[in-house]
Amino acid sequence: MTSKQNIDDSPIDFAEKIIADVKNSKEEGVLKCVQCGMCTSTCPAARHSDYNPRDIIERVLEGDISILEDDLIWNCFYCYTCHSVCPVGNSVCEVNQILKQIAISNEIGYDKLYEYMGFADSYFTAAIGAIPEIFFEDIKNDVPGWWEFRNNLADIRDELELDPPLMPPKEVIDEVSKILTITGFKDKIEKIRASEEAKQ
Amino acid sequence: MRDDLKVGVFLCECGGNISDIIDLDEVRASLDVEFVGQFENLCSLNGRKIIRDAIFDHDLDRVVVAACSPISHEKTFQDYVKPLNPYLMDMANIREQCSWVHSDKAKATHKAITLINASIEKVKQSDAVDPIYCQTPDEVAVIGGGIAGMNAALSLAKQGTKVTLIEQSPSIGGHMAKIGKVFSPVKIAEECGMCLLNPILNELVWNENIEVLTNSKVIEAERRAGTYNLIVEKSPRYVDTERCIACGKCKEVCEVEVPDDWNDGLSTRKAIYRPFGQSYPESYVIDMDNCTKCSSCVKVCNMRAIKLRGRPERIPLQVGSIIVATGHKLFDMEKRPEYGYNRYNDVITQSELGRITGVNGPTKGKLLKSNGEVPKRVVMIQCVGSRDEKPDGHRYCSKICCTVALKNANIIKHKNPDTDVVICYTDVRTPGMFEKYYKHTQENEVRFIRGRPGEVVKKGDSFIVRTEDTLKGEFIEIEADMVVLSTAMEPSDGTREIAEILNIGTTEDGFIKESHPKIKPVATDVQGIFVCGTAHDPKDITESIMQAIASASKVSEYNYGGVEIEPFIAEIDKDKCILCGDCISRCKYKSMSIQNDEVYIDPMACTGCGKCLVGCGQKAIHVNGNIDEKILATIKGVLSNKNDDERMILVFLDNIGYTAADNIGVNRLSYPESIHIIKVISVNRVRPNHIKYALENGADGVFIGEFPGDLMYDEVERKVDRIKETLIELNENPEQIMFSKVYIPYFTGLARKLTDFDKKIEELNL
Amino acid sequence: MKLIPDKDILLFRSCLVSVEYPGVESSTKFVFDKLGIDYAISEKQTCCTGLGHYSDVFNQIDTSAIGARNFKIAKDIGRPNLVMMCATCYAINKKSVKLLNKKDDLRNHINQLFEENGLEHLKYEKDDLLPSENIFHVVDILYGKISEIPKHIKYDLSEYKIASHHGCHYCKVHYEDTIAGFRDPNIIDELIGACGCKTIGWYDHKRATCGTGFRQRYSNPDLSFTATADKMNALDDEEVEIVVHLCPNCHIQFDRYQPLISKREGREFEAIHLNIAQFIAIAMGGDFDKVIGVKAHTTPIDSVIKELKEVEQ
Ligand code: SF4
Ligand code: SF4
Ligand code: SF4
Ligand code: SF4
Ligand code: SF4
Ligand code: SF4
Repeated sequence: MTSKQNIDDSPIDFAEKIIADVKNSKEEGVLKCVQCGMCTSTCPAARHSDYNPRDIIERVLEGDISILEDDLIWNCFYCYTCHSVCPVGNSVCEVNQILKQIAISNEIGYDKLYEYMGFADSYFTAAIGAIPEIFFEDIKNDVPGWWEFRNNLADIRDELELDPPLMPPKEVIDEVSKILTITGFKDKIEKIRASEEAKQ
Repeated sequence: MRDDLKVGVFLCECGGNISDIIDLDEVRASLDVEFVGQFENLCSLNGRKIIRDAIFDHDLDRVVVAACSPISHEKTFQDYVKPLNPYLMDMANIREQCSWVHSDKAKATHKAITLINASIEKVKQSDAVDPIYCQTPDEVAVIGGGIAGMNAALSLAKQGTKVTLIEQSPSIGGHMAKIGKVFSPVKIAEECGMCLLNPILNELVWNENIEVLTNSKVIEAERRAGTYNLIVEKSPRYVDTERCIACGKCKEVCEVEVPDDWNDGLSTRKAIYRPFGQSYPESYVIDMDNCTKCSSCVKVCNMRAIKLRGRPERIPLQVGSIIVATGHKLFDMEKRPEYGYNRYNDVITQSELGRITGVNGPTKGKLLKSNGEVPKRVVMIQCVGSRDEKPDGHRYCSKICCTVALKNANIIKHKNPDTDVVICYTDVRTPGMFEKYYKHTQENEVRFIRGRPGEVVKKGDSFIVRTEDTLKGEFIEIEADMVVLSTAMEPSDGTREIAEILNIGTTEDGFIKESHPKIKPVATDVQGIFVCGTAHDPKDITESIMQAIASASKVSEYNYGGVEIEPFIAEIDKDKCILCGDCISRCKYKSMSIQNDEVYIDPMACTGCGKCLVGCGQKAIHVNGNIDEKILATIKGVLSNKNDDERMILVFLDNIGYTAADNIGVNRLSYPESIHIIKVISVNRVRPNHIKYALENGADGVFIGEFPGDLMYDEVERKVDRIKETLIELNENPEQIMFSKVYIPYFTGLARKLTDFDKKIEELNL
Repeated sequence: MKLIPDKDILLFRSCLVSVEYPGVESSTKFVFDKLGIDYAISEKQTCCTGLGHYSDVFNQIDTSAIGARNFKIAKDIGRPNLVMMCATCYAINKKSVKLLNKKDDLRNHINQLFEENGLEHLKYEKDDLLPSENIFHVVDILYGKISEIPKHIKYDLSEYKIASHHGCHYCKVHYEDTIAGFRDPNIIDELIGACGCKTIGWYDHKRATCGTGFRQRYSNPDLSFTATADKMNALDDEEVEIVVHLCPNCHIQFDRYQPLISKREGREFEAIHLNIAQFIAIAMGGDFDKVIGVKAHTTPIDSVIKELKEVEQ
C-alpha cells in the first residue's frame, strides 16, 4: 500500500496539539520519540493485547487522527510504566490520556464513559468518587463476602473509631457541585448521558 | 599637557581607492596638527622611511595613519613608527569604513575628517607601553596514564620536553590494557590489544624525558604567569620498585584473597599483587586496605623489597603546561536494576566480556558462564545508561559501545560459532569505515533486533529478555543464558576531581570542556591546560591518540613560541585592595586568584575586558592603557566635528564586529554616512558614562554589536538593558540605543541593521 | 535526600480507604501516633477525583479545580503538608500542584471561574503549595522516621515470606520524588526492614502494575486479571505469604479478586494482603479488630498470621 504526503499536509500538527494540552507535562517529549520500543517492552497492555504504546506514538507523529476512534487506546492501564522509563522523556501514558480527552471533545468514545457516570453522580450527591453502582452486581459475583462487608461498613468503621463520618457536610457537597458545574463538567456529563440514552 | 603633544597625520591615497572619493586636499586643510603628509601607498616599503623621517624632522610624539583598516595594517604601521613606541600610533579607517561604503564625495570627505579627528584625540590619550613577553617553563605534567596520557607524554618527550606522567593506580596502561582485543574496521580483523599497547609502554618507560609517578594524584594546583605549581601526593606502594624483581614469591604466601579489579572482579588476587602481566613499574604492590600486616611476604622476599610501613609523600612540581588525560569510567549498573546485573552472575558488562574473552583473563580466553558452561545464546543490550534522560542516565551517545558490541559479538562467533548472538539496539552507530565491520558482523550470523529491552528476569536456568521487536511491532521474550550490557562511558572520578583542583570548566555531563568545540578541540578554558582522551568526551582509542598528539603539539607551540601579550590587561593596586575576592569570581576568563595574600592576575589569561573593575568597591583595579580615556576621547573627537544638520550615530564594535564592518566595505556595500564605527578591545569596556556623554553631546544614536560566542555576550546584553532602563527613568527614549548580534560572515546583515537603525533614529528625530 | 515533614500534616482521606479498607486509616493513625507525627483530618476535604479522572470522566481542569479547593483547605487550617494514604490521590494532587504552579493559563482560568462564581476564597496563587515540599504519601512520612520504627516494634513477623507491591501511582508518575527507587522500588521493603523483617526483594514483575487499570477492571476484566495474574503467579513461585501494599486500589485488586484469579489460573493463591501501615501497626501491637480492621479483608488475615510472637528484647 502506498501512502501519500502532499505538499500541504502537516502531520506534525497532531503532535503539536498534544504538546499544547494542559495535561502534558513532558514538553516536546512526544516529538523526540526514537521508536525504541522500551515502552512496549514494559507495558502490561502490550503484553496481553494488541495495544502497542510505541505504535501509538508512531501514529500520532504521522498525524493519523483515526487513532482517536481506535478502540485499542482504551486498553491502557495508566500504569505510567512507559512514562517512568522512556529514555527520551516522552510519556505514552499522558499522550493517551490526552488522546481520549480530544476524542471526548469530538464526541467520540461516549459509550466508553457511560458506565462510569456513577463517578460523576457520586460527586454531586456525596463529594466522593465511589465505585459506580452499575458494577455492584459484578463485584457481588466476583468477590465473596463483599456485599455483606459493605452492609457492615458502618459498624466496622465504628469499631475502628473512625471519625469524621463518610459523608461530608452539606456546604461541602454544594461547593463541590458548584465547582463541577462552572468547569463545564456537569454539562458534559449530561450531554454524554443524553446522547447514550438516546441510542438505547 | 596631553593637548600640547605634537601629532603627525599621514594620509594615504591607497592608489586612488581613497583619494577618488575623499577630497584629501580639503582633509589636509582642515587638520590642525604639527604635521600632515599625503602619500600614494603608505604601506609600501617607502612608507617606513617617510614616516620615520617625519617623526624625526618634526619631533612627533604621536602618529595617526589615515588609511585602510587596522585589521589589515596595524602591525605594519606599528613597525613603521619605530623608534616611537608602537602604541603611540593610531589608524583612522577611511577606506573600508569611508571611501568604500560611501559615494557622496562631500559627505565622505566630511566623515573622513571626523574619523581622523577622533583618532587624533584618541592617540593623545595613549601612553608608551611594552608588550608583555611570557615564556613558560618547558616542563609538562600529563595527568592520567592511559592510552591518551601515554601518547601525549611520549610525543612531547620525543620533541625533547621533560614530562611527568602522573597515574593514580599502581600501573600505567589504563582501560586499553584490559580490553583484550581491538579491531580494525579496514582489515576487518580483531587484534591483540596488549600487543599494540606494549611497544608504546616500553618506549615510554625507556624514554629519559619521562618520569612516571604511579600511585600518585595531583592534590593542589596554583598558577602564576603561565607556571603551575602542583603538589602531587604519592601513596606508598610498600614494595620498593628498585629492589623488587617481580618473582612473585610474596603472593604465594599471602593469605588474603580479594576480587581482582583488573579482571572486573571476575577472579581474585592477593593483597600483594602485580596488577597485570605487563604492568609498569614491574613490581608488586600491596593493597593496604585489605592487607592484614601478617608479614609473611616480608619474610619470604629475598630482595628485602617489602616494607609494611610507609607514608604518602608530597612531591612539588613546577610545570608550564598540563595535559589532562584522566579518562572515563563505566556506568554503575545499580542505576538500571531492571537488567539484573547485581542479581545474576551471567548478566555482565561488555568490559567484563572483554576480560572473559581475553587470553590473560579469568577463563584464559574461554567464553564460559559462571557455571563453566558455554552459553547457547548471548543477548547484548545497547545504550545502557546512554541516550537516556531518566534520572542517573546520560543524554549523550557513548559512541563506542556499538562497535564494541560488534567486536565482542564477532569474537564470540570465532570462538563458538554455535553460540547465537543477538544484539538489541535502537540504532547501530557505525560511521565511516565501521560500517564495513557491521556488515562483516552480519555475515558472521550475529543477529540484530531493533528494540530497547525493558527488563531481564530469570526463569529457571535461563534469562528472559523482554523487548519489542520494533520492526515487527511485536513484544517478545528472548530466552538467553548470558546477557551483556553495553554500559555508558562517563567521566572518571579522577576527571571530576582534577577539574575542580585545576578549576577547569566541565560540560553538564562532567566531562572536561574544550574552549571551543569546533576550532579549539584540545584547549580548556584555562590557559596552558589541555585535554585529551575520554576525559573530554566518549571516544575510541584512535581518536584518543589523535587528540593526545594534538594536545602535545599545542604544548609545543607554547614552549617554542613563547607568548607575546598585548599589555592592556588589568592590574591591582595592592594598597587599596582589601582581598575581598569579589573580583575573582567575576572574571569570566579565570585569570584572577589569591596567591601569597595578594590578588594575582595572570597576564596570559586576562583579556582586559574590565569586568573586574566594576565590582571592586575599593576601586583597586585598573586596566592598563587608558582605555576609558581613549574611548571618551574618540567620542569627543567624533562629535566635535558635527554639523548642525548632521545625524551622528556611534557604533561600538570589538575585533569581530569590526572585521564584519570592514567586510561591508570590502564587498562595496554601503550604509549611511551617519554611521561612525569605534573599535574597542571589548565592548564591555564601553561604560554607561560613555554612552551618557555621547547622547548628551550630540550623538543621536548608539549601536553596540557583540559576537554571541563571546564569553561576555550575556553580560553586555544585560548592561545595555540596564542603560535603557536608566534612560526610561530619565524620560529619554531607550530606542536611541540598540544592541545587536554580529557575525563576521554576516556582514550584509550588519549593513542592513546599521541602515535600519539610521532610519529609526531619523524617525525619532522628526 | 529531600526534607520530609513530621508536622503540619493534613492526612488526606481516601474514598477507597474509607469504604473498602478503613483499617488502613486507623492503622496509619495508630503508627503516626506512635511515631509522634502531628496530623489532622478535615471533614471539608473531598475526594481527589482520581478514579473518575483515570476513567477519563474528569478532565484536567475539573480535577485541578477540585484540587485547588482541597489545597486551600489545607493552607487555611495551617496544614500545608498533604499526606495521602492512596497512591492515586498522591499522583493526582501532585500533578495538580505542579500544573497550577507552572501553567499560568490553567491557574488563571480556574481562578477566574472561582471569582466569577462567588468562590474567591478558593483562589490558588502560584506556589501556594510546592509539589516536592508539600505533597507526600504516608510511606514518605514513615520513611522520614525509619530509624524510630524499630523502637516501637512488639511482634516479630520475620518468619513469614514477605513481598512488596509498590503502587504505580506512587512510584512512576512523579519518579523524581520517589524515595528508594522506582525502577526497582524499595521503599516498602525498607520500611519492612525497619520492622525487623526481610522481604524477598526483587521478583518477576515486581515493578509492574497491579492490573486494576481503573477502567480495565470493570470494562476489560480479562485484560485486567491476566495482568494481575502475572504478578500473583510470580509471587506464588516465590511462595510469598504476605504481600504489602501502599495503595487501596492495588489492595482491592489483590485481596478482593484473589479468589477469582485463583479460579481463572487454576492455582490456589493464598497470600494475604496488607497495607504497609497495617503491617507496621501489627508489628507495633495494633489490635486486629480495633486498629487493623481485618474484617474488611476478603482473604482472612488469620489464614496466614495465626499467632504473634513477641520480639526478644
Ligand atoms: S520508550 Fe519513549 S522513545 Fe521509546 S518508543 Fe516509547 S515513547 Fe518512543
Ligand atoms: S501507562 Fe499505558 S501505555 Fe504506559 S505502560 Fe502502562 S498500560 Fe502501557
Ligand atoms: S616483593 Fe620480593 S618476593 Fe615479592 S615479587 Fe618483589 S622481589 Fe619477589
Ligand atoms: S603482610 Fe599483607 S600483603 Fe603481606 S602476606 Fe600479609 S596480608 Fe599479604
Ligand atoms: S554507541 Fe551505540 S550503544 Fe553506545 S550509546 Fe551510542 S547508539 Fe547506544
Ligand atoms: S580585565 Fe577581564 S579578563 Fe582581565 S582580570 Fe579583569 S575580568 Fe578578568
